[in-house]
Amino acid sequence: MVAARRRKTGWMRRHRAGVLFGLALAVALAVVLAFQSTQQGDNQELSIRNPGPQGARAAAQILGAQGVTAEQTASFEETLAAARASRGRGSGSTVLVYDQRGFLAPERLRRLLAETDRLVVVSPRLATLTGLGSTIRQAGVVPGSEKTLQPECTVADAQAAGDISADGGFLYAGGTVCYGAGGSGRGLYASAEDGKLVVIGSTAVISNQFLAANGNAALTLRTLGSQGDLVWYLPGPGDLGGSPAPKTLAELAPAWSAFVAPWLIVVALFAVLWRGRRLGPLVFEPLPVVVKSAETAEGRARLYHEAHDVARAADTLRAGTVVRLASALRVGTAAGLSDVAGSDVAAAAARHLDRNAAEIQQLLQHRPATEGQLVRWAQELVRLEKEVQAR
Amino acid sequence: MAISGRLVLLAAAGLAPVLLFPGWLTVLGVLLVLGVLILLDVLLAAALQQVSVERSAPANVTLGGTADSVLTVHNRGRRRLRAVVRDAWQPSAGAENPVQATEVPAGERRRLGVRLRPVRRGDLKAPHITVRSFGPLRLAARQKTVHAPGSLRVLPPFNSRRHLPSKLRLLRELDGKAAVQIRGAGTEFDSLRDYVRGDDVRSIDWRATARRSAVVVRTWRPERDRRVVIMLDTSRTAAARVNDEPRLDTGIEAALLLGVLAERGGDRVDFFAFDRRMRARAGTTAGGNLLGQLVQAAVPLQAELIELDWAQVPAQVRAVSAHRSLVVLLTALDGGAPEEGLIPMVTRLAQQHVVVVASVRDPLLGEMLQDRTTAAQVFRAAAAERALLEREAVGAQLRQLGVEVVDAEPHQLPPALADAYIRLKAAGRL
Repeated sequence: MVAARRRKTGWMRRHRAGVLFGLALAVALAVVLAFQSTQQGDNQELSIRNPGPQGARAAAQILGAQGVTAEQTASFEETLAAARASRGRGSGSTVLVYDQRGFLAPERLRRLLAETDRLVVVSPRLATLTGLGSTIRQAGVVPGSEKTLQPECTVADAQAAGDISADGGFLYAGGTVCYGAGGSGRGLYASAEDGKLVVIGSTAVISNQFLAANGNAALTLRTLGSQGDLVWYLPGPGDLGGSPAPKTLAELAPAWSAFVAPWLIVVALFAVLWRGRRLGPLVFEPLPVVVKSAETAEGRARLYHEAHDVARAADTLRAGTVVRLASALRVGTAAGLSDVAGSDVAAAAARHLDRNAAEIQQLLQHRPATEGQLVRWAQELVRLEKEVQAR
Repeated sequence: MAISGRLVLLAAAGLAPVLLFPGWLTVLGVLLVLGVLILLDVLLAAALQQVSVERSAPANVTLGGTADSVLTVHNRGRRRLRAVVRDAWQPSAGAENPVQATEVPAGERRRLGVRLRPVRRGDLKAPHITVRSFGPLRLAARQKTVHAPGSLRVLPPFNSRRHLPSKLRLLRELDGKAAVQIRGAGTEFDSLRDYVRGDDVRSIDWRATARRSAVVVRTWRPERDRRVVIMLDTSRTAAARVNDEPRLDTGIEAALLLGVLAERGGDRVDFFAFDRRMRARAGTTAGGNLLGQLVQAAVPLQAELIELDWAQVPAQVRAVSAHRSLVVLLTALDGGAPEEGLIPMVTRLAQQHVVVVASVRDPLLGEMLQDRTTAAQVFRAAAAERALLEREAVGAQLRQLGVEVVDAEPHQLPPALADAYIRLKAAGRL
């Protein structure tokens, strides 16, 4: 029992690093997965999953809190199915269409209008409006001077909402027009066919960024929340219809090509197992401590250099030269060590070399100020030593 | 359990059926076939419970030589053993063929020789032997590691042996026994012989001359049966590497040469390695071959990262030899603060003994001194100069105390120390 426990703790101790690494990996994986699952958002404009300024998550959440379930769809079939399902449940359906690029074909738009209780179209293009076959048509943009627009109409939603933001909006004419700019039958909000078709000429009114400004929220919520279900339809390239997509490379390649890579992975795994299995455990080499002997001298040299201690380096070099000259000239090493001035040594060297004693004395006593001078002087010292030893 | 390179090749060949009949079923089928082959091979491999492996311990070897570790594989089972055997020596043992393949029929045994070329002194270990037993297809194997501790004692190389003949000849000349008939130096009376021209007239023994018709001189010989105590410093300064050799190894070389020389010179030799406690000890008193003892004592020595306890050294010397001796300290002159440790201790030792301090000088310092081309090199030269001056100062201080200082580069240290011994012996200072 005790032995088993000891063996177990021994295993733990030996594999502690591996266990810790594994735990850290598991925790990291869990954190990443948790983030992945919470963050379902996208960054599509006016998407109810987009929490950014351009998104419409706020509007959808408020509507959800008020009992209007919003469902976002990306294809025409889905949208139709959702609208039919809500009709089947007995609650009415509102479909919001924001077809930024004009993906929807005219017949699809007309079917959508026929299948829903209310169709809200945000900033429609000319093609979209003609496709719908309604009387509403494009009528320019809101003048830049206008910051807000007044309802100026009899539609209940608009009157309840009051002023709304006008930034970057489009104007429409035809049908019942609200939020006119300039009062010429053009407006940001237009509805036709007894309010079944509503056109809003601005994405800002619905977006997260401006929903709280002016009466935007009221207009958005009243327009979209009139029925029990809301289908939020953002058409994509898949709604273009027409010819089917071209064949991909994988479809063109022969059938066996799909199995090459997996089988090569299997072979690689075998190779890993072959090379990875060691022939018995490693043997440890007890390494003795060995230090380079000149390490201390080199460290000291770096200290001198970093401190730019020219004076100390010069003193040391001078002392060394004097000592060596003294022993070469038989003046006596003791004399060399004590004779810092080096006058005896200089005199002896001058006699030895037939040179002027004052000159040698001056060379020995020179005090270099810069590193350049130090280098030149040090080389002269070596030359003097060689000269003395050569004769 | 292990697989072989053959299995990997077989798996690569498995690509063919996978390509010919593409489908996950084929992949699974080929994998299944491979798995069955592996299982079959492992099951048919010789059982390792019935295989025993033994290592016969190789003898001592000097550093630079070769030794053979012999493995005996005995197959007691009923199946043929197709094995790969690994003799797990530590890397510095320099095993040339540690992994060998062999086939052992049922009930037989085979020998495998592993050639070792050690690259480091000391007791080198081989903790285990691993056997891998392959099946008949050699696709997969069973593997077992047997705990089989083995050890190889690598002796110091004694490269300075080559200096021995010349130093011994010097010693014999001292003794007056050499072919060159010079009068023996020394202070101990040896014998009387006839005067020949060239002899020192001061050595004429007039009393003996008066008894005979011819002039007779006294001859002298060096003292014998003196004591030589060699202390090897194994403290942190011994770890310094000079010319690819730690100071400790140079010290061992010097101690070996001096020990052998002093023994032939008729003196008693004691050796000990010391830092804070005794690391090794050898000497003539134990009897037997001195060189063998010295070598065996030096094998396990390693430099320790601690300061030498100088205060204990006189007591250690006294424990080895109570009489006046030649005390040789193999240490470093630049070990931080010699003024605190070495010099006071040597002052005490020198009152009773003749002391020689032998130290390795780093030739790199001399090279650093000469390079003076750039500022960095001049600062290096200054630092080297300082280190040399400090050594010089310590050396001068020691010489003033009457201590012999041997300061030489690594290869020169053993002969220089031997010369110092011969010089002291000739001067009769032992």
